[in-house]
Amino acid sequence: MSTRHAIAANEFLANKENEVWHDNTLWMVRAKRDKMSRSIPEWERLRDMAFAIKNYSNSHLDTLLEEFERNATANGAIVHWAKDAEEHNRIVLDILKQHKVQRLVKSKSMLTEECHMNPYLMEQGIDVVETDLGERILQLMKLEPSHIVMPAIHIKREAIGKMMEREMHTEKGNFDPTYLTHAARRNLRELFLHADAALTGANFAVASTGEIVVCTNEGNADMCTSFPKVHIATFGMEKIVPNLESLGVFTRLLARSGTGQPITSYTSHYRRPAEGQAFHIIIVDNGRSEILAKPDHVRTLNCIRCGQCMNTCPVYRRSGGYSYTYFIPGPIGINLGMLRDPRRYADNVSACSLCLSCSNVCPAKVDLGEQIYRWRQALDRYGVANPEKKWLSWGMKVVMDRPMLFNTALKFAPIVNHLPRFLVYSSVNAWGKGRELPAFAQCSFNEMWKKNEVK
Amino acid sequence: MSSRETILANIRRNTGTRQEMPDLSAMETIVYPDKLKTFAEVLAAAGGKAVELQPGEEVNAVIRREFPDAKRIASNLPEITCATFNPDEVEDPRMLNGTDLAVITGEFGVAENAAVWIPRTVRHKGLYFISNALVILLDKTKLVNTMNEAYHLTAQADYNYGVFMSGPSKTADIEQALVFGAHGPIQVMVLLR
Amino acid sequence: MRIGLFIPCYINAVYPEVGVAAYKLLRHLGLDVDYPLDQTCCGQPMANAGYQDKATDLALRMERLFETYNYVVGPSASCVAFVKENHPHILEQAGHVCQNSRKIYDICEFIHDVVKPTALPAVFPHKVSIHNSCHGVRELGLSTPSERNIPYASKLRDLLSLVKDIEVFEPKRVDECCGFGGMFAIEEPAISTCMGHDKVMDHISTGAEYITGADSSCLMHMEGVIKREELPIKTIHIVQILASGL
Repeated sequence: MSTRHAIAANEFLANKENEVWHDNTLWMVRAKRDKMSRSIPEWERLRDMAFAIKNYSNSHLDTLLEEFERNATANGAIVHWAKDAEEHNRIVLDILKQHKVQRLVKSKSMLTEECHMNPYLMEQGIDVVETDLGERILQLMKLEPSHIVMPAIHIKREAIGKMMEREMHTEKGNFDPTYLTHAARRNLRELFLHADAALTGANFAVASTGEIVVCTNEGNADMCTSFPKVHIATFGMEKIVPNLESLGVFTRLLARSGTGQPITSYTSHYRRPAEGQAFHIIIVDNGRSEILAKPDHVRTLNCIRCGQCMNTCPVYRRSGGYSYTYFIPGPIGINLGMLRDPRRYADNVSACSLCLSCSNVCPAKVDLGEQIYRWRQALDRYGVANPEKKWLSWGMKVVMDRPMLFNTALKFAPIVNHLPRFLVYSSVNAWGKGRELPAFAQCSFNEMWKKNEVK
Repeated sequence: MSSRETILANIRRNTGTRQEMPDLSAMETIVYPDKLKTFAEVLAAAGGKAVELQPGEEVNAVIRREFPDAKRIASNLPEITCATFNPDEVEDPRMLNGTDLAVITGEFGVAENAAVWIPRTVRHKGLYFISNALVILLDKTKLVNTMNEAYHLTAQADYNYGVFMSGPSKTADIEQALVFGAHGPIQVMVLLR
Repeated sequence: MRIGLFIPCYINAVYPEVGVAAYKLLRHLGLDVDYPLDQTCCGQPMANAGYQDKATDLALRMERLFETYNYVVGPSASCVAFVKENHPHILEQAGHVCQNSRKIYDICEFIHDVVKPTALPAVFPHKVSIHNSCHGVRELGLSTPSERNIPYASKLRDLLSLVKDIEVFEPKRVDECCGFGGMFAIEEPAISTCMGHDKVMDHISTGAEYITGADSSCLMHMEGVIKREELPIKTIHIVQILASGL
C-alpha cells in the first residue's frame, strides 16, 4: 500500500541522526516564526487582510495584469507574456541572444525551477550561475532544492565543504559555515562582476506602479542586477498585488512567516531600468489561469511562497523535501503538484495526517490541509487510488453500514488478541511494524449497554 | 491570438465571482511607545548597529571611530569629508569593487523591522551592495511604526529604484548557521541624528 | 434536554470503559442521557482515505439515530469534528440537510461550554500531560492552536482544574500531531510511527505518568508505541479522569 512518498520517507528515516536534525532545525524555524507573529498584535488581522487582498487580486488578474503592463511599459520596461514553461524559456533565450549574453547570473526563483529553465539555457550554451548561496551549493552539487526557502537544508556542512574544496579551492577540512560562506562570497563576487545579464524572480509585482519587488537576505538579487546591461524579471501571474498599500500587509507577513525575521535584509523595488540597462519583465501563466476555474483549489494562488507550511508539517520535517515527487514539497507542493498533473503526482497526497497545522500557519490562509482532503476524494476518479485502500474502505463500509455485522465482528474480535504474534504482526500489518495493536475489549460498549452494565 | 490575448482570455473565462478589495485603512496597526528604541533593538537583532549622534559629536569623527580600518571610503555627500572618493564619478559600477565603506543617506526608518527606505540617490545602486560596510545617515525624527505606514510614504514619492534595507547581508544556507556578509555589506551602521 | 451519547466504533470495540465514564459523568451532572443502540462509525476512516462517498449511508444512519435528541455528545473530538465539518456537505449530495452538525459536541466542549460545572468529585493524584489532538484543537477549538496569535485557552486544562490532587503538564510542542491520522497510520507507517514516538517522548519529558486527552484515537496510537517500546508512561482518556470517583 506504500506510496512513492512513503517509500522515500523510509530512506530519509534510515539516517536517524539526519532526520532528528532536520526535524529539530525546521521546528526551530517554526518556533522563531511563532515568536515573531506574537510580537504583532494585529497578526491575525494581517492574515485576514492578506487573504482578502488575494481574493481580490486572484479574481481580477486580467485587469491587474493589464494595469501592470501599462505602468511597467510607461516606466521603460519591456513586458512579455508566456503562456507556458516552453514559451517562458524561449523568451528568456531570445533576450539573451539579442544581447549576446554568455553568462547569466540569477537570484532564487521557484518559477524558473518550475519551467526547468536552467538546463534549457545551458543546453543552448549559456553559463547560468545561481547566486543564492543555497542554490549555488545545489547547482555545484548537481542537486535539486529540498525546500523552497532553505533549498539546501538537507545537506550537511561537511558535504558542502568537500564540494567547495573542489570547486573553490577552500582549505581542506575547514567546514566552518562562516569560512565557507565568505569563500563563496569571494568566488561569486567575480561572477557577478563579469556577468552579461541578470535574472530575478519577483516576490510581488505592483499593478498600480508597474514595479517588481524582490526580497532577499543575501543581497544577491541586487548584486545580480547592479552590473550587467540586462535585467530580466520573471513572475507567475498570481504574484501581482494591486498597489503599494497591499505590500504593507504582505511584507509584514512574508519574512516573519518564512524565517522568523521581521523582514528580509533587502526588499528591493525595481521601477525603472538603470541608465543603459534593458529591463525585461515576463508574466507567466503556465497553468495558473486554469486554477482559477477550480473553486476547491483556487486558494493555492494565495500562496506567497514563505515555506512555513513545510516547517510546520510533521511529515515534511521527518521525510525531507526529496520524498515528494513534485519539485515543491510539503503541503503547498502536494497541492500544486496535483494541480499540475493529478495522475503523475498523486503519490504525495498520502504525506499528510490532516493535522491542519499548515492551514493555521499560512499567512495568506491557504486551506492547505482541507485541499489535500479534497484531493484524496478525487484519486479514484483519476484512476490513481490505491486498490488496497479502496478495498479497505469498501470493507469498512460493508461492516459499518450493517450494525448486526459490526456487533458480531466485535463479539469475535477479542480472538485476535490471542492469536500468535507471527500471524498478527506479519509483513502485511503496516500498523504492527512499529506499534502494538490495540486489544479488543472482551465486551463492546454496545453489548454492555444491552446487558444493562453501563447504567 | 498572441500569448497575451490567450492568457487574458483564459483568465476571463475562468475567473469566478469577482471579490471586493478590502479597506486596508480600517486596520489598526501597532504603535511603539519609543520608535527610536525599538528601531535600535530590532536593528541589533538583525545584525546591524544603530548609533545616535550625541551633542557635540561630528559625523566624520564618529564614522572614523567606528570604522578605523576603512581605507577606501565612498560617498557623494559633501559633508562626508572622510570619504576618499565620490562613487558618482566612477563610470563603470564594477570599479566600485573593493570599497571598504560607503556612506549614504536613508529617507526614513521603520521601527518594527529596522528597515531603512533608500531610494537610489547615487549613480550606481551597486554601491549599496558591493561595499564591505555601509553607514546610513538617517534623520531620527523620520521613523514610522510599520510597513503599512512606510508604504503610505513611498506611495507619494517617485523613484527609479528603492530598497528597504534592514541590517547587513546575511545567509543561513549552511546548516541554518547565521553568517553575515553573504554577498553584500558585512556591517551596517545606521547613524541617527 | 435529551442527550444522545455518541460512541464511535473504536471506543465501542477497544475502549468501552471510556464510553462508560462518559455516561457516568453526564449522569452525575444531572443530565438526561441515552445511548441509541447499534451505532457503528461516523465514516471518517473512509473519508480521510479518500472515500467520502462511502460515508454517506453512515451519516444518514447517524442522522436517524440521533433525530430525537437535543444534543449529540461523544468522547472523541476527531469523530465529533468529522460530523460537524464534513457530514453537512456529504449529506448535501444525498439531498439531506444535516441536523447533527448543529447539535454535536465533544464531551469536554459540552461540559465546558454548556453544562459549566463549578465542581466535580474527581480525585486523580497523578501527573498528567495533556494531548492536544489536532482536530480537537484546530477544528473544535478545545485549545488555541499554537500557530495562531490568540490568547491561550484550553478547555481540557479548565476541566482538569476541577480535579483534586492532579498535576497538569503539556508537551513542549504543545499541539504537534501524534501521527495517527486514520489511514495515514497504515499508508505511511514509518513516518506515522516516528511521529508517535516523538510525541510520546515529548509527553514523557514533562515527567507525567499519564498522557490524557479528548481523543481515544490518538491515545490508541500512542499506546501502540508505548507498548512496543515499553516506555514509562500510560494513556487515559480525560473523561476517565473527570469521572474518577464516580
